[in-house]
Amino acid sequence: MNQGIEILLVEDNASDAEMTIEALRKNNLANRLLHVKDGVAALNYIFAEGEYADRQIGDIPRVILLDLKMPRVNGIEVLQRIRADERTKRIPIVVLTSSREDPDIAKCYALGVNSYVVKPVEFDEFQKAISSIGLYWMIVNQQPV
Amino acid sequence: MKKDKQAVLIIPTILATAKLENVEVDFRHLAAIVEYSNDAIVSKSPEGIIKSWNTGAEKMFGYRAEEVIGKHISIIVPPAYIDEEKKMLGKINNNEVINNYETIRIKKNGKQFYVSLTISPLKDQGGRIIGVSKIVRDITSQKRSEAELIHANSELTFQNDEKEKRAAELIIANKELAFQNEEKGKRAAELIIANSELAFQNEEKEKRAAELVIANRELAFQNEEKGKRAAELIIANRELAFQNDEKEHRAAELIVANKELSFQNDKEEKRATELIIANKELAFQNEEKEKRAEELMIANRDLKISEEQFKEVNEELESFSYSISHDLRAPLRAIHGYSKMLQENYETRLDTEANRLINNIVNNAKKMGQLIDDLLTFSRIGRKELVKTDIQVDTMVRNLCNELKSEQIDRDIEFHISQLLPARADTTTIKQVWLNLISNAIKYSKGKDPAVIEIGCETKGDEIIYYIKDNGAGFDMRYAGKLFGVFQRLHSDEEFEGTGVGLALVQRIISKHGGRIWADARANKGATFFFTLTKIMTR
Repeated sequence: MNQGIEILLVEDNASDAEMTIEALRKNNLANRLLHVKDGVAALNYIFAEGEYADRQIGDIPRVILLDLKMPRVNGIEVLQRIRADERTKRIPIVVLTSSREDPDIAKCYALGVNSYVVKPVEFDEFQKAISSIGLYWMIVNQQPV
Repeated sequence: MKKDKQAVLIIPTILATAKLENVEVDFRHLAAIVEYSNDAIVSKSPEGIIKSWNTGAEKMFGYRAEEVIGKHISIIVPPAYIDEEKKMLGKINNNEVINNYETIRIKKNGKQFYVSLTISPLKDQGGRIIGVSKIVRDITSQKRSEAELIHANSELTFQNDEKEKRAAELIIANKELAFQNEEKGKRAAELIIANSELAFQNEEKEKRAAELVIANRELAFQNEEKGKRAAELIIANRELAFQNDEKEHRAAELIVANKELSFQNDKEEKRATELIIANKELAFQNEEKEKRAEELMIANRDLKISEEQFKEVNEELESFSYSISHDLRAPLRAIHGYSKMLQENYETRLDTEANRLINNIVNNAKKMGQLIDDLLTFSRIGRKELVKTDIQVDTMVRNLCNELKSEQIDRDIEFHISQLLPARADTTTIKQVWLNLISNAIKYSKGKDPAVIEIGCETKGDEIIYYIKDNGAGFDMRYAGKLFGVFQRLHSDEEFEGTGVGLALVQRIISKHGGRIWADARANKGATFFFTLTKIMTR
């Protein structure tokens, strides 16, 4: 059994992060969730660097929930790095974004994103969307390994 | 010969004179021979008195013996031959014999006939002539044959003559025929030449005929083509006639419009005078503004927009849209989310008023989210490039109606959809148009039971006019001008919720397609929206 992190949430907006965790928690999916606040922290975790240097790189999460618009290293760069590395390129990644206007949708799919979800403004809708994602990737989906 | 006859004729003489017993038997024999001879045997006296008349004489002349014996011989001589008889008697009396003399005698019945006479004298022992014997033979049939021969001869002679004449004629005729033959020979030669000429001409005519057949086919084909062309021209003429009518209507409308314009011109002249006054006022204000403008120009110097900069601005606008959608939505989501969490987690601990206030926050956040989404859609469609294909509008509309109806299970909505023609347009945006118009029809017919929504189309020229009609709230046509403006609404939010972007979006899409959109409505009597799209060009 994988005792490590199952969901890696990469989100710079605290409110969105809180509401996401709240939605997952309601479905008992937030127990082994790690929230990192930017792309740098995300990459450090994935590649077991910096503050996460003592982590096992092969201990991969079941899904990464990735926001695109973040300071320093944005979601696209994180996606690129993960997909470019043989050790991590099979990790399921769901991009969460605020806008359906995003010019990066096409770029994300080109880089091999597994899902692209626009976060609804209405809380009920938002909760529904997050729950679906969590349930799908944690329970329905068969892991690559 | 004369001696023989003489011997025979001696007998009667003997009969008359001999009284000798030994000659009596011979005499009887001789008498029987005379009696039964077929010739008439007559004897007469030298004066001509008939002395004997045998059976042959009876048969020949028709007189019986007792009738004529004792009578003069002239009884059997035609009057014309009396002299001849006298001469013959004279000759006999001179001891002459007449042998086979041919002459005419007469029968008791008066009929004359040819006879041959042999006459001899009867003498006594002293040699004196005591009578005359006469043997008469009828030669009528012999004479007749002779006559016939003569006739036949002359006939033959005549025929010979005729034949000779005919032969002569035939010779002439032959010459004529020979001449004619020669002529015919010449003529035949001429005909042979003429025939070969005709044969040549025939051949020429056949060639010509073949050429004519080809030419005929060509003409038939051309006729057909002309027929088609004529049919096309008829159609074209009708179309032109129709267009003429249309132009006449248009001309009449223009005349009316001209009058209206000249009336307005008059009005505008009055207005112009007023404007002059106003202008003076404005001129003053302008001066003020110029001063202000100068100040602004200094401030805006860096913002001067050249054409290249305009592009940059457009790009900036896009990223601005993105920012709005991204950056405005995030806090909005937070406002909405936290309010909901507050409501869910603390509902029981807050009083009614607090809950009402939270509810208002939630509703407004929701509304703002909707506004942002609509506005973004509106600006996106303005920038979006249309990809025109042949759209099966009928299927699209029926599917949309079914989907939208299924979302309104608590309402009774009747759709009446006529066959909708396909159009040449951009699928995504036209689907948005129908979605907005059908949604509006459903929304504004809220409270009608049943809501009746009628959708159809008609063609005019190369465009299709689609329409959607409802029996809902409608609107006052005085405000029709505001119908398609962004954020313009003809109903309050309490009546019908909305952001005022839907119809603005519809108009923007239709005008990008080169079409027109308009509406016809009356308050509380329903509304009809019309829009046009280009027909699919069929070849």
